[in-house]
Amino acid sequence: MPEPVDLLRGTLDLLILKALSWGKAHGYAVARWIEQATDDALQIEEGSLYPALHRLEERGLIESTWGLSENNRRARYYTLTGDGRRQLKQESAMWSRFARAVFAALDAPASPAVTT
Amino acid sequence: MKREEPLWRRYLRFFGPDVAADVDDELAFHLDMRERDLVARGLTPEQARAEARRRFGDVETIRHQLRKGDSRRLRRTRRIEYVEELMQDLRYGLRTLWQHRGFSAAAVVTLALGIGAATAMFTAVDAALLRPLPFREPSRLVSLVSIQVPFAPGGNRSDDNGNTPDLVSVRAMTDLFEQAATYAFGGLNLAGDGEPLRVAVGVVTPNLFTTLGVAPAVGRGFSQEEERPGSARTVILSHGLWQRRFGGDSVLGRRLELSGKTYEIIGVMPRGFGFPQRSDLWIPLTVPTTFESFDAFRGWLPSESIARLRDGVSPEAAAARLRDAWLRLPAEQRRYRNNAEQVPFVPFQAALAGNRQKPLLVLLGATTLLLLIGCANVTNLMLVRASARRREIAMRAVLGASRGRLVRQLLTESLLLSGAGALGGIAIAFAGLGVMRLLLPVEMQSVAPATVDLRVLGFAVLLAGLTGLLFGLWPAFGAARTDVNETMKSGGHASNHRGAGRLRRALVVFELAVALTLLSGAGLMLRSLGALLAVDPGFEPGRVGALEMTFARGTGPGAGAARLRVMSDALDRLAAMPGIEAAGIVNDLPLKGGVSVSVRAEGASEAAETPFARYLQASAGYFQALGIPLISGRLMTPADTDSAPKVMVINQTLARTVWPGQNPLGKRIHGFGPPGGPPEFRTVIGVVGDVRDGGLDNDAPLPQMYFPVYEQYPINVSLVARGTLDTRSLLGSLRRAVAEADPRQAVYNVRTMDEVVAASVAQRRTNTQLITAFSAAALLLAIVGVYGVVAYGVAQRRRELGIRAALGATSSDLARLVAREGLAMAVAGVVLGLAGAYACSRVIASMLYGVTPTDAATFVLAPSLLLVLVVGATLVPARRAARLDPTEVMRAD
Repeated sequence: MPEPVDLLRGTLDLLILKALSWGKAHGYAVARWIEQATDDALQIEEGSLYPALHRLEERGLIESTWGLSENNRRARYYTLTGDGRRQLKQESAMWSRFARAVFAALDAPASPAVTT
Repeated sequence: MKREEPLWRRYLRFFGPDVAADVDDELAFHLDMRERDLVARGLTPEQARAEARRRFGDVETIRHQLRKGDSRRLRRTRRIEYVEELMQDLRYGLRTLWQHRGFSAAAVVTLALGIGAATAMFTAVDAALLRPLPFREPSRLVSLVSIQVPFAPGGNRSDDNGNTPDLVSVRAMTDLFEQAATYAFGGLNLAGDGEPLRVAVGVVTPNLFTTLGVAPAVGRGFSQEEERPGSARTVILSHGLWQRRFGGDSVLGRRLELSGKTYEIIGVMPRGFGFPQRSDLWIPLTVPTTFESFDAFRGWLPSESIARLRDGVSPEAAAARLRDAWLRLPAEQRRYRNNAEQVPFVPFQAALAGNRQKPLLVLLGATTLLLLIGCANVTNLMLVRASARRREIAMRAVLGASRGRLVRQLLTESLLLSGAGALGGIAIAFAGLGVMRLLLPVEMQSVAPATVDLRVLGFAVLLAGLTGLLFGLWPAFGAARTDVNETMKSGGHASNHRGAGRLRRALVVFELAVALTLLSGAGLMLRSLGALLAVDPGFEPGRVGALEMTFARGTGPGAGAARLRVMSDALDRLAAMPGIEAAGIVNDLPLKGGVSVSVRAEGASEAAETPFARYLQASAGYFQALGIPLISGRLMTPADTDSAPKVMVINQTLARTVWPGQNPLGKRIHGFGPPGGPPEFRTVIGVVGDVRDGGLDNDAPLPQMYFPVYEQYPINVSLVARGTLDTRSLLGSLRRAVAEADPRQAVYNVRTMDEVVAASVAQRRTNTQLITAFSAAALLLAIVGVYGVVAYGVAQRRRELGIRAALGATSSDLARLVAREGLAMAVAGVVLGLAGAYACSRVIASMLYGVTPTDAATFVLAPSLLLVLVVGATLVPARRAARLDPTEVMRAD
């Protein structure tokens, strides 16, 4: 099923990597972290988290193992790989630059001046 | 991926991760957790459930998507792992095999020998029996039994009641057969600028090529018009003759002079097509045949007929119809028809393969046995090596290699060995093609020769795979079963594994038994060939040369006189040459086929059954040159011409057959004058010794009668001469005599009578040589096998033998101990082998001559040879055992 590569998808990947940067977590924990960290502002459909997780695993950015959850249930835990850590660093740097640029533009005082 | 899960699920996961269940678990876990949190926040369970699902989105779509993606990923991972493991196994296998070069070389050579022999034989079997002939729908072609073209000297079919079993009546059965054609193979003299050339000629009804479904590459095929006697003479060239004679230039419309007649070239057949046999060119066979049809032949028309079954007509139905038709014939018509009313036709390919089929299959069977022996030998090598490798294998098992992985690793090594063996085998098959072609009937050599093609390569690869599994599986599983703890504890010393030792000995017994089977088969074949060569051919072939020639069939009263002049001239010149002791003429040389006619003695009743006698024409010099003894009476002289009283010389068998217990000299038979004329008689003037005709393996000499060659000079003659010269000069003299008498006369088959004899047993000789070679190889491998097992046993029992020596066993005690092992195997092998040999002798009984299948000499000599060789092979390790120094052995531990 082809999915449009949109801004949100890239953002979701980045958020997942960030969530996992605190350590091993299952999908629900990742969802909860994103929810709290963004103040539930992004309104991500929770289901879309899983295709993203599996995709990241396929790309080798994260790894999964099966383990027991805090309430003793079988759960799939994800951890960041070395590649994933590098990717997180790169993308967050890019996001920061991007965000700074957008903010700078929004805060610009005058209309564009044309010089020759 | 490490995972903890309920035990029962592990069984489901026996074949790897269960993707669907994992996805379900993961999603269910998420929904449950969310529900629980929502309940904790005060929602009712129903509300929580609905809310969890709402926040999640479309569960089913995501589930489906995940399952699909994950299983794809799993498959890919597996594939990559598999290829990686395979590469690893290959690298490791190659390294191991290279480290043990001696072992690998021995195994590869053994396998190459076995696979090579079997593949080479397969090229011949495939060409003759399996591969469809390169004709259109070859399975619809049948070879008609005893169907010929009617003969009508006047050009019109004499007996036209449609009832005669000949080509015309078969063609009339249009509901059964699409087409029916006749072909014969002969020779003609091709006149040209240089030396006159004898060319091989296919004389074929014009529809032969369309019946086969083969079209000329250049020009046109024969037209139906050319089947009529007296129509314009046309010829189609073979690709080879076209190239040789005309350099591939445009030839259509050009003319060729063949045996004094002019033919127009109308076409050229495709390259490689020479049917029947290796034809240089083709001329039409007219229907009906006339005297002219016999130009290319020696007195009779050796024709064969084929037909193409109509679509939808079953061979059984067609055969039944023909059988009915032939059974309605009058009894005396049926007499000469080779039981055609029982089996009216046979499949074309089977007819061409003819009596070659049996030897081909027997030889293929022999190579299969040879290959089995080779496999047994390699299995033995592998077992020895497996026990030497126990430590390595145990180490790998300790390091986590599963049993399956170990088996795969070891099988990879086996397949590498058998693959290398197959490469060698294919090389051997290529090298053997020349010999294999000799095994094919000449008709097949000319259309579908033995080749190494994809089928043959596939066969070799198949053999490699099968043998690799055959000799690899047992040692591989044995090795993978290795008890790790035991091996590591014992320090990896190859302790004598009792089971493996027994298996090795069993394999050697099997090898010896199979080798003895082959050896006895070869022995019987060799004895047959010996018996055949010991048959008195009735003449002394040594120092005799012969050539054959065919005169142009001139017409008119001068033609015979012209032949007589050339012939006498050549004979006179030959007789005058230095070193020539005797020279003569005959129409047909011994050991070849010929014409037989029925002989009725004077006074015998016309109703009585008359014997047939081979009809020959000879001069007195023929008997002198070939050393055929004159028993009584006199030989013919140049005075016995057409105008003199008719006389003949007969052989002893004819004398005994027609006039038993009487003196045949002066007795008369009915002559062969024109019907209705005055009674004609022919008087016996001499009796000569029997000469083998047809072949040495004919059970008894045929009755023969020789008419004076001066009476009616034949068209086809053989000039023979006995001399004190070497072969080259003798044959040169023969050629020169003819060339001096008539420089335009073509000669052919210039050879010694020794060669004539050899040619008549060539087929049997090739079969015998091949089976002898195969059994010699089998014997060698089996003996090597015995040596290997006994020597290995000694090496393993060094300690035990040392202790025995220390306790007072003498050297001969030790040697005897070791030799006993070899002898026990030999005796078991001989007992089993004799049973195999007996079975084998039944199979080849029909290929034997002059020996019974239970020939005592063979059944005593072959086992004796085997025993002697086994003892010899045992002697070396036995002496090594005898020389053991106990102190040295003890110190080594």
